Amino acid sequence: MSSKPEIADALTIAEIDRDGALLEAVANLYGSSRADFLRGAAFASAAVALGLALPSEASASPKQDVGILQFDLAFEYLQSTFYTQAVRDRTVARMKPEKQRWAHVLGTHELAHVAILKDVLGKNATKKPFFNFHGVTESEEAFTKTAVAMEDLTVALLAGQAPRFSNPALTSAVFSLLTTEARHAAWARRLSGARPVAAAFDEPKTLKQVSRVVQSTRFIAARPQTGRRGKPRYTG
Amino acid sequence: MRLRLDGQFDRSSFLGRTLAASGAVALAGFAAGSGRSAAAGPSEEQNIRILNFLLRLEYAQVALYDGGVSAGALRGELREFAEVCGDQDRKHVDSLRAIVGDKAQAQPSFRFGDAVRNPARFTAAALTLEETASAAYIGQAANLTKDRLSDIAGIVAVDARHAAWIRAIAGRNPAPHAADPAKTVRQVMRTLARTKFVEQA
Repeated sequence: MSSKPEIADALTIAEIDRDGALLEAVANLYGSSRADFLRGAAFASAAVALGLALPSEASASPKQDVGILQFDLAFEYLQSTFYTQAVRDRTVARMKPEKQRWAHVLGTHELAHVAILKDVLGKNATKKPFFNFHGVTESEEAFTKTAVAMEDLTVALLAGQAPRFSNPALTSAVFSLLTTEARHAAWARRLSGARPVAAAFDEPKTLKQVSRVVQSTRFIAARPQTGRRGKPRYTG
Repeated sequence: MRLRLDGQFDRSSFLGRTLAASGAVALAGFAAGSGRSAAAGPSEEQNIRILNFLLRLEYAQVALYDGGVSAGALRGELREFAEVCGDQDRKHVDSLRAIVGDKAQAQPSFRFGDAVRNPARFTAAALTLEETASAAYIGQAANLTKDRLSDIAGIVAVDARHAAWIRAIAGRNPAPHAADPAKTVRQVMRTLARTKFVEQA
């Protein structure tokens, strides 16, 4: 059994969140201090109000199905905007061809997931929140590492939620999104030099756990943001 | 709540397609003695039939990877793939066997021929088996009881990662669909039969 040393560098939510070391990991990734992170946590209630409202963890019902799908939709908005923003920032255009292809395929898939979930939710579809990636989409390294973490997180989200639907059609449909996100995660990890699959089982996360991680990034903003270079950004 | 839950799934081919694959679960007679003619709702009995079906696919993957590693023809990333995935799929086998308990199907015998000696054929075989397993799990998701669903969600995600990895090694798009297709039991068994990997009892 070969074991690659660079695996230690790969940031996966499962690895970093295990012993509450998420604070440090996020700080390392975003170059912000621990204090910054804790300030970010204060944004929690705003983030929840803006699309990551947590449905109850009660037993399966059509109402709960809607809540889970709304949460998934907010997450897909986040992902699709993340890739779109990296294209706008010309970060993708500066990468080597295989990575460009990867970023475009993933961006396209996440947009398709948004369209699918909006279609399924109909009038219950939530609006797209505003996002601020705090410069992460402007550097290839930060963009790639964040993509790896985000794709692994999506796998954990869907692994946790796919079994909870009351409607069997939604169960199978979300399983087919779960495997797609798992492919994204594997592809992202391989391109970043990490082993595509870190463990024999992908551990599920609860909505609360996922929400906490998303809030820690402060990617969901209260209003359209101005970029750190002073140019206007319309990521919402 | 006006989620399009009842009777309107045909509006979206996405939802209709994956669920359609689950319908044939009891029709194919994949397990000895399962002569039932219609898919019932999820039950313990049905869980066992489905999990034994999925177990068979995991056995095939482990056998291919073990065979590839011991034949000694795999190099570099392909060898790493075989070692890592063999180890992880073995854990899937253990997990499924533990769930099914006494009624777990024994490992069939496999004959991979050149697929374990020739790297290109090994790659093609691994790609077929991982893709088939992943699609089989999606197809059966709606047929399992909720507690078993949690067990397999973490497994199918890993099989999909394996599929993406071997596709990348083969120079193919690791994620060819925005939503992965499901396969029926019948389709899975047909694919498996075409490979001629499973020896007939």
